[in-house]
Amino acid sequence: MNIYEVKYALQNFRKRKLRSGLTILSILIGITAIFALLSFGIGIKQYVNQLAEESGGNKLFVQARGVGAPGTDENFFLSKDDVDFMGKMKGVDELVGMYFKVAEIKYNDQKRFYFVSGMDTSKIDFIEETFSIKIIKGRQLKKGDDDKATLGYNYQFDDKIFRNAVNVGDKVELNGRRFEVIGFYEEVGNPQDDTNIYVTGEAFESLYPNSKDKFGFVMISSQKGVKPSELASRLEERLRKFKGQEGGKENFFVQTFEDALATFTTIINVINGMLVLIALVSLVVAFVNIMNTMYTAILERTKEIGVMKAIGARNNDILLIFVVEAGLIGLIGGILGVLLGYFISSIGGSIAAASGFALLKPAYPLALIIGCLVFSLLVGAAAGFLPARRASKLKPVDALRYE
Amino acid sequence: MKKSVIRLENVWKTYRMGHVEVNALQGLNLDIQEGEFVAIMGPSGSGKSTAVNMIGCLDVPTKGKIFLDSHDISKLGESELAQIRGRKIGFIFQQFNLVATLTAIENVMLPMIFQGIPEDARMKKAGELLNLVGLGDRMNHKPSELSGGQQQRVAIARSLANDPDVILADEPTGNLDSKTGANVLDFLEKLHHEENKTIIMVTHDQNLAKVAEHIEFLKDGKIIKSTRS
Repeated sequence: MNIYEVKYALQNFRKRKLRSGLTILSILIGITAIFALLSFGIGIKQYVNQLAEESGGNKLFVQARGVGAPGTDENFFLSKDDVDFMGKMKGVDELVGMYFKVAEIKYNDQKRFYFVSGMDTSKIDFIEETFSIKIIKGRQLKKGDDDKATLGYNYQFDDKIFRNAVNVGDKVELNGRRFEVIGFYEEVGNPQDDTNIYVTGEAFESLYPNSKDKFGFVMISSQKGVKPSELASRLEERLRKFKGQEGGKENFFVQTFEDALATFTTIINVINGMLVLIALVSLVVAFVNIMNTMYTAILERTKEIGVMKAIGARNNDILLIFVVEAGLIGLIGGILGVLLGYFISSIGGSIAAASGFALLKPAYPLALIIGCLVFSLLVGAAAGFLPARRASKLKPVDALRYE
Repeated sequence: MKKSVIRLENVWKTYRMGHVEVNALQGLNLDIQEGEFVAIMGPSGSGKSTAVNMIGCLDVPTKGKIFLDSHDISKLGESELAQIRGRKIGFIFQQFNLVATLTAIENVMLPMIFQGIPEDARMKKAGELLNLVGLGDRMNHKPSELSGGQQQRVAIARSLANDPDVILADEPTGNLDSKTGANVLDFLEKLHHEENKTIIMVTHDQNLAKVAEHIEFLKDGKIIKSTRS
């Protein structure tokens, strides 16, 4: 076997464009789908990792167990006493209770309903670090800003939330009370967080007097050297005893930030995995298609195979020629599939970003590109193997006689 | 005394067709010497084609021995036979058997590929051979763009690619008109005289056989008459 045979296979391939082209199309579809799906999967994973890095791995959440989003269920909450109790626990570095409720927001006579969050102004840096968001326009809330609000990213644009963009200095009404907008947060990438409204804890308490000291969730950071997962189980046990609840029936749960991300990642992975599996089915079709093409090619070229054998081609030479030819069909399908997949996922990413899901951003690591190409080459070569073996085993005398 | 290039000793070839066994060769003996121009003649069904397959190492006998350069090749495997064919024997077929998708020069280069000869050397040699057969200006034409005579000349060039000792021509003029056929025959004679190649030509044409110095008549799988001039 040698490199010259590879060239011969290439020549043959070039000279049978139509059928090769159709077969390439079948593998192209599968690779396109796989590449596009994986690029999204990897993109989301990168986003999650970045999130974990920015907010640090030492964060925990204690959340009231209720129906719907935290804080929306009146009957389940964490009290000020709970927060104070946890604040005194060993291993807890910093903590803050968060208010969370749906509010009516009115701007230029247009009404919308979104979540409003009440923040303890003394802990605002801690909150921003945990959510890994920063003010990109205007300024943070500070103590005494009880008639002021900061808004999520999406409010800054026409036709996104209100007909007109909201600007720093504009007035909005929350549940009928006027607030001055003093800043905007950067884009998080999902429509819920990017539509949040932030006010001070005191402002929140005056908007919802019944909800004073009833927190939807508590954010905690563990001290240096304390494992968040250990702190989580200790918190759960101690808080349960403090609240006099039975194990398994507590009205709260503790989750580390990593756990929360892991849950999210797992869901994404499962969905992505299933889609990739479906795409793999199309590759099975491509596999059969390449096999069929190669069997046909071998029938068609039986005499040619006989001639090649007569003039000195060994079985392995013939095998290599046809395996290379099939592999080439696969590889070309792979190259085109990667290009088309890149094109499709880029468009998909732009559409997702335009609809507020900026976290759905595809990523194209080199390993993905090379992996897809190698995979398509192998699929082609494997599909060509059996036909090629049959070709290589043809007896020269019989092959020469074939018409 | 001349050395024998190919020698068949009591060669039998039996084909099984359903329940019937057909003996295509029945104890064929043949001795072809270096530098000879041999014609093998016989009516159809005489076992000519089977004999050619044996001489050309395309098939192995059911019984008997075949010596190529005094090595017994009757028991060799397919790949070893392929190597020997590629190096020692140049084939010329009745139907030319050029690869339709390749150009003239690519066809001539093909046997060298299987011997692992580098591309530069292949290209050079193929060009020389095509010039030799008078097709220097047709190198990049495909077989479909060449006349029958030209195609057979490409096939002759291809048979010479690995500089074999033996040229095995199976009815080389069978598909050509008499004038072009005579032309091809001239080439074979030239190769015989000038390059000292051993030429084995299978034919059923008495007139063609006349150019040979050694004629073997085949019937019912055996040699029935042998003449040397």
